[in-house]
Amino acid sequence: MIAAGLDFVGPSINWFALSPMLVLFGAAMVLLVAGGLFPRWPPHVYALFTAAAGLASMILCFFLWDNITDGGAALLVGNALRFDVFTMIVTITISGALVLVAFVTDDYLRREQLEGPEVYALYMLAAVGAIVMGSANDLIVLFLGLEIMSIAFYVMSASHRRRIESQESGIKYFILGGFSSAFFLYGIAMVYGSAGTTNFTKIVDYFNNNIPGVRHDAFVLAGVALLLVGLGFKTASVPFHFWTPDVYQGAPTPVTSFMASVGKVAAFAAMLRVLIYALPHWHEDYRPMVWALAVLTVVVGSVMAVVQTDVKRMLAYSSVSHAGFVLVGVEAAAHTAGQPDAGDGIPSALLYLLLYSALVVGTFAVVTMVGRTGDAATDLSAFRGLSKSHPGLAIAMTVLLLAQAGVPLTSGFVAKFGVIQAAVEVHSYALAIIAMVASVIAAFLYLRIMVSMWITEPESTDAARESIRVPAWTAVALTLSVGFTLAIGFYPTWLINATKAAVAIP
Amino acid sequence: MTSFPILTSLVLVPAVGALLVALFSNRRPEWVKLTAVLASALTAALSIWVVVAFDKSNADFQFVSLHTWIKPWGISWHLGVDGISLFLVLLTGVLSPLVIAGTDPHHDQKRYLAWLLMLEAGLMGSFISLDLFLFFVFFEIVLVPMYFLIAGWGYEGRIYAATKFFLFTMAGSAVMLVGIVATAIIAKGSGPLTFDLVELAKADFAPSTGRWLFFALAIAFAVKVPIFPLHTWLPDAHTQAPTGGSVILAGVMLKLGTYGLLRFGVYLFPEAARWSRSLWLTLAVIGIIYGAITATMQKDLKRLVAYSSVAHLGFIVLGIFAMTTQSLAGGVMQNINHGVSTGALFFLVGMIYERRHTRQIADLKGLQTIAPIFAAAFMVVMLSSIGVPGLNGFVGEYLVLIGSFLTARWWAVLAATGVILAALYLLWAYQRVFHGEPDDANKGFAELKAREAAVLLPLIGVIVFTGVYPKPMLDRIEPSVKRLIEHVSDKTTYVEPQPVGVTP
Amino acid sequence: MLDLVWLIPALPLAGFALILLFGRRLGDPKAGYLATLMCSAAFVVTVGIYFDLLSKPSEERQHVYRLFSWVPVGSLKVDLSFLVDPLSITMCLFVTGVGALIHLYAIGYMHGDPRFSKFFLYLNLFALSMLLLVLGENMLVTFLGWEGVGTCSYLLISFWHERATAATAGKKAFITNRVGDWGFMLAMFFAFQATGTLSYIGINGAASTMAQTTATAIALFAFIGAVGKSAQLPLYLWLPDAMEGPTPVSALIHAATMVTAGVFLMCRISPVLNAASSYAPNLIAIIGVVTALFAATIAVAQNDIKRVLAYSTVSQLGYMFLAVGSGAYTAAIFHMITHAFFKALLFLGSGAVIHNMHHEQDMRRMGALRKLMPVTAATFIVGWLAIAGVPPFAGFWSKDDILLAAYDKSPVLWALGLITALLTAYYMTRQVIMVFYGEARWHDAHEEHGAHGDFEPHESPTIMLIPLVVLAVLSVIGGVINLPFNATTERLTSWLEPVLGVHESDTAKLPFALIAVAIALLGIAASIMIYSKHKAKPVEPEFLAEGWYYDAAVSGFMGGPGRAGFNAIAWFDANIVDGAVNGIAHVVRGTAQRIRTVQSGNVRNYAAAIGVGVVLLLAWFVIVRGSR
Repeated sequence: MIAAGLDFVGPSINWFALSPMLVLFGAAMVLLVAGGLFPRWPPHVYALFTAAAGLASMILCFFLWDNITDGGAALLVGNALRFDVFTMIVTITISGALVLVAFVTDDYLRREQLEGPEVYALYMLAAVGAIVMGSANDLIVLFLGLEIMSIAFYVMSASHRRRIESQESGIKYFILGGFSSAFFLYGIAMVYGSAGTTNFTKIVDYFNNNIPGVRHDAFVLAGVALLLVGLGFKTASVPFHFWTPDVYQGAPTPVTSFMASVGKVAAFAAMLRVLIYALPHWHEDYRPMVWALAVLTVVVGSVMAVVQTDVKRMLAYSSVSHAGFVLVGVEAAAHTAGQPDAGDGIPSALLYLLLYSALVVGTFAVVTMVGRTGDAATDLSAFRGLSKSHPGLAIAMTVLLLAQAGVPLTSGFVAKFGVIQAAVEVHSYALAIIAMVASVIAAFLYLRIMVSMWITEPESTDAARESIRVPAWTAVALTLSVGFTLAIGFYPTWLINATKAAVAIP
Repeated sequence: MTSFPILTSLVLVPAVGALLVALFSNRRPEWVKLTAVLASALTAALSIWVVVAFDKSNADFQFVSLHTWIKPWGISWHLGVDGISLFLVLLTGVLSPLVIAGTDPHHDQKRYLAWLLMLEAGLMGSFISLDLFLFFVFFEIVLVPMYFLIAGWGYEGRIYAATKFFLFTMAGSAVMLVGIVATAIIAKGSGPLTFDLVELAKADFAPSTGRWLFFALAIAFAVKVPIFPLHTWLPDAHTQAPTGGSVILAGVMLKLGTYGLLRFGVYLFPEAARWSRSLWLTLAVIGIIYGAITATMQKDLKRLVAYSSVAHLGFIVLGIFAMTTQSLAGGVMQNINHGVSTGALFFLVGMIYERRHTRQIADLKGLQTIAPIFAAAFMVVMLSSIGVPGLNGFVGEYLVLIGSFLTARWWAVLAATGVILAALYLLWAYQRVFHGEPDDANKGFAELKAREAAVLLPLIGVIVFTGVYPKPMLDRIEPSVKRLIEHVSDKTTYVEPQPVGVTP
Repeated sequence: MLDLVWLIPALPLAGFALILLFGRRLGDPKAGYLATLMCSAAFVVTVGIYFDLLSKPSEERQHVYRLFSWVPVGSLKVDLSFLVDPLSITMCLFVTGVGALIHLYAIGYMHGDPRFSKFFLYLNLFALSMLLLVLGENMLVTFLGWEGVGTCSYLLISFWHERATAATAGKKAFITNRVGDWGFMLAMFFAFQATGTLSYIGINGAASTMAQTTATAIALFAFIGAVGKSAQLPLYLWLPDAMEGPTPVSALIHAATMVTAGVFLMCRISPVLNAASSYAPNLIAIIGVVTALFAATIAVAQNDIKRVLAYSTVSQLGYMFLAVGSGAYTAAIFHMITHAFFKALLFLGSGAVIHNMHHEQDMRRMGALRKLMPVTAATFIVGWLAIAGVPPFAGFWSKDDILLAAYDKSPVLWALGLITALLTAYYMTRQVIMVFYGEARWHDAHEEHGAHGDFEPHESPTIMLIPLVVLAVLSVIGGVINLPFNATTERLTSWLEPVLGVHESDTAKLPFALIAVAIALLGIAASIMIYSKHKAKPVEPEFLAEGWYYDAAVSGFMGGPGRAGFNAIAWFDANIVDGAVNGIAHVVRGTAQRIRTVQSGNVRNYAAAIGVGVVLLLAWFVIVRGSR
């Protein structure tokens, strides 16, 4: 009897469903252990190993996806995680970004003489955290993932030992990150306080039953507000975006690209999970705030980008304005939150995130190469005459920039079109128009980079600069990114269908 | 659609040409040029074939090719021409080889040609797409090559001009995109989402909705036309662009605006178009007079021609919104006429620049004495631009005016004064540039070269032929125009007024 | 034969095409002969058609020849087709006839000019346009010719474009004409709206049934066009300047043919004019007579041999409009024809003088030329008597008709017309005396000219004299086509009746004729007293020499306020409209710069910003939403 009471019954775990996470986690462990115990492997092996892990988790996702299409979505590990197409898309995006970034990082580390497995391990741990955020079905679990990812980020951004900016950005990010995490935790506490649970499903059930009682309960509302703060920080939404330019500029460029892709995806996935999946009852309350955040973010991001001279900073702001666009999708999702027909909000947001990740990694890959040793040359002038010295690089960059500007026949346009359509679908025309107009302002910054690549003549001082090297693996990553950008630009159908499945399959 | 996909090839041939040119190595310039010329010439041949094979008794879209593209969004690769787009296709097809063969960039010939071909592909696409999304894609994509042509091969203020052009037009299309999406979504109701023009035209919008949507689309076209007061990107872009760029920009690209207004504005939202007509008519007349007056005072010859475009395009807008068979046919025809004569004018101004490296009217003098043939060519083109009967410019303008007179009398009366002003600014400029005793700076002005003549001759040929015998053109335009008016009558209370003693 | 009408314009067209292709090879003088040949051939064809038409009964003297459908759109169906009827053929006759003579003359006059063949290229093009104008079956074809002649006159006035004055004059002519064309176009629009067609037969046919206001509108807008083309007040300004062109041009375009197009147009649509409310013809008559008088007063004080003739042309055209306004269309046409004869003659004569005086045009530097160029002098004198209205010369008969009709309309008009006649006789006599009589003032003149050494004016080559003689003969006997004695002698009237109708008048003709003659002689006598016998000082006040300062005033306005206004608009465009656009860009940058200051890189600020965000969010959720 007593003994029966003592022995602990863990939740039944569908290990295969967790395999992507496990692969990455395992790989990370292996790297750490190997890095500690064995003599150094030839540097690029680490990268390839990481890429292989990323690829593996990707491939696994495709199998799992089939299971979901056949067997429907499910909850894992005692309802702590959601196992659905949403999760799959997030996982695939993150793993894909991981692969590309690994390629870029390898060459970067060698150029900067920073060999070592640690960064890769951190990448993969961050990825695991990100995937957890994207698949969480419980506020605590979500917070867990968020912290895993964030801590990895703090360390990564400070990982360039010889660059003071790198250290500084690490510290800044750490302090502010902690600050915002605190708010997030507070929010969790408050929601728990009123709902008596942190599990999404249970929260929804609880409010289903006693919504009239708590409808205007300031306690819950405050909780929602604070959760929004934490998520706003991670998604770099205005006014919680101030860390972005400094951190993006300071961090080693490949890390920046990792944060801009994986970080954003995870943060927005979390936002969708919390707002749409956990708190549909409050969508009338938070929707106006999401609207406001979207407007602020897209406008401020675009406007601020115009006056920058440092390309990394420019792209940081552009990433802010892109976040604004994703928020447009979130706002659309908020309209239909909790309704049987989920609408296009979530799919369009996911599509945007996926496409943007591929874009931004490619873009930063170019910046990494042009940045030269020590990320010294990220000023606009560093791109002068690139079309003469490295036409291929210039063309690739142009494609990526045009895509960021949302020019048709690139994935960027598909992404924008998706969110705009979702917004119009729910009649938030004003938001759609504001976003589009802001994107025109943002276009100016991409034009500036193109001008300096194609039009501006090189100056005498440029000759003194260290010449740009285009390492093989980075080139591969870049090619993949550009190819993807164009391919989706011409034929996005399958991807659109895929993202639609995220809400189609319950 | 088992027949040869001619319209699709109209887009693909220049696009593929552009790729080939881009892939060639810089070390074989002659190959590059040859490829470009061949690609554009082939396109020209195809466009001529379209005109020849066009069935003029048929008002509907012809050579249609329809394939699903992005199913989940109801987007299809839907192409087709009717009388309204037919000659724009021809114009694009014919003007491009002239530009490619007739102008030389001062550097980077390879990239220049690649951009030009890409531009041609984009323009072709915009004129033949029957799917709003597809149209938008082309409409937007043409900005890129044009941006690079201006910024890369333009003159002193090129970057400012190019950026202004890009952002100005993009701002317009930003609103349009929302408009297009809204149109499709509102029109779909409970049915499947589609961006197909023909399908959407069947939809009925509540007046208030329709008006919003109409303006969302129209703003982009108004920028492209350009309609006062959204025109100020044009003089900069035209002046700073390289000759080839200006020719295409003025000759073809502006027509995207008027064409769009007609094909997507009026066709999709007849009620809104009717409701807002007095606004458009007024802006058109302002454009005609204002553009002419501003042109008169320009010191830069190229800028003068640029402003003259504002005036000429005003006539087209007038014709569109006056909405009679004559005014519409005239407007559609004026699209072509303006393309030909202003294109030719830009060629000529470019030739002057090549010789004298200045566009300032004040620096030029007495060219007629030194280069009589050149002067004669300029004279003919100028007269066509002034609208002298017997040359193409007149037919279009006259039809617009006489047609508008039936439905918009006082606007037509005012617009007719534009005919006086046109003579004023062009003749004055001509006198200052070509008349008088040439000073030393202009003594060495070279006479028209064989290649230049080869470029101008076809244009002048068209100018004269269309002026003397416009019937073939009008016969092909009229049915589609009539059909459009019927469509408007079906959707609104509008009935085209006929002159006394005429039964429609 | 009638179906050969297309040949009439086709021949000059052929000439134009040939010279365009081979002009340079043909050169001087072959190109000239070719052009002349074509024009004369056209004349021959016209004569053939004339007799063919004559052989038909008068009601059948109307034939439409359709070339092809020109501008067919919906209800608007415009053919490029010709209307053969007495009026158009009459016009063709003297256009081609006088035209051919002037072509011939020009061969001599333009001899040695570097752009010889180009001149004839334009001349043939002009002939073509003019013939289209008069032969047009509908207003649009007429307009085609109308603009064509305008363009040619522009090209020919500024033929010697190296002279700034010539270039400017050409431009001025074209633009002023365009003002008129605006009226012509509107007339067409009104006509189309009211009748659904542009063909004269259709419009004139509908005239009786159309609303009076419509008829008035058509008539008056057409008249605006006519005013521009035929140099009436207030648009006559371009004609005196047009004298910058080579003299054959002045003779052909600015005396005989083009400038009469306006009169022709009014006659063409006379039924509409008749249907219009009465103030329309009144206005036309008044403008006509006032212009006539106005120009005559100016002519009195001119010293440039060609300007005198130019103003006299304006004045004579005024007469024709007086006739039109008085409903005497035949009289207008009659005067048009005789005027074509004697005014062409006078211009060619003056041209001969100028030619042989090495392009000296100032009459104060001439005199006593009759001995040196007898033929020119003799023919010029014939022209003088004709225009002065001395019987039996051509001018007398036509002018008399007009004055008669004017009297029927209103004695005032008649009186004004009479004064004009007096002045006409006066200034023409003055010219003849200054040029051909008195003492020679050109020797000294040429010293100061510093022209090539010792020179002696001499008679022109035969090729220039033949036209003079022919025209002189026509100016003498021209009247016979319409002698006012009885129905049979009024050939022109009866010939044109099917088109223009007849102007009924029961006024006794003889007394008026006598008064007219007396007035003419009086004018001549006065002039002789002053300029030949020097009995009195010449009255040539400055304000007349300056044309009542009208031209100065207009160009003053154009150059002053007008230009300023244009500049203002250009400034507005460059600074306000475009300024707004750039303004937006600046605003964006400005705001960005301001926000940037927050982005200090200082963690404390960032945290503060987050704090603000938190407060705002909480405020919204707790206060706004929570309190509901």
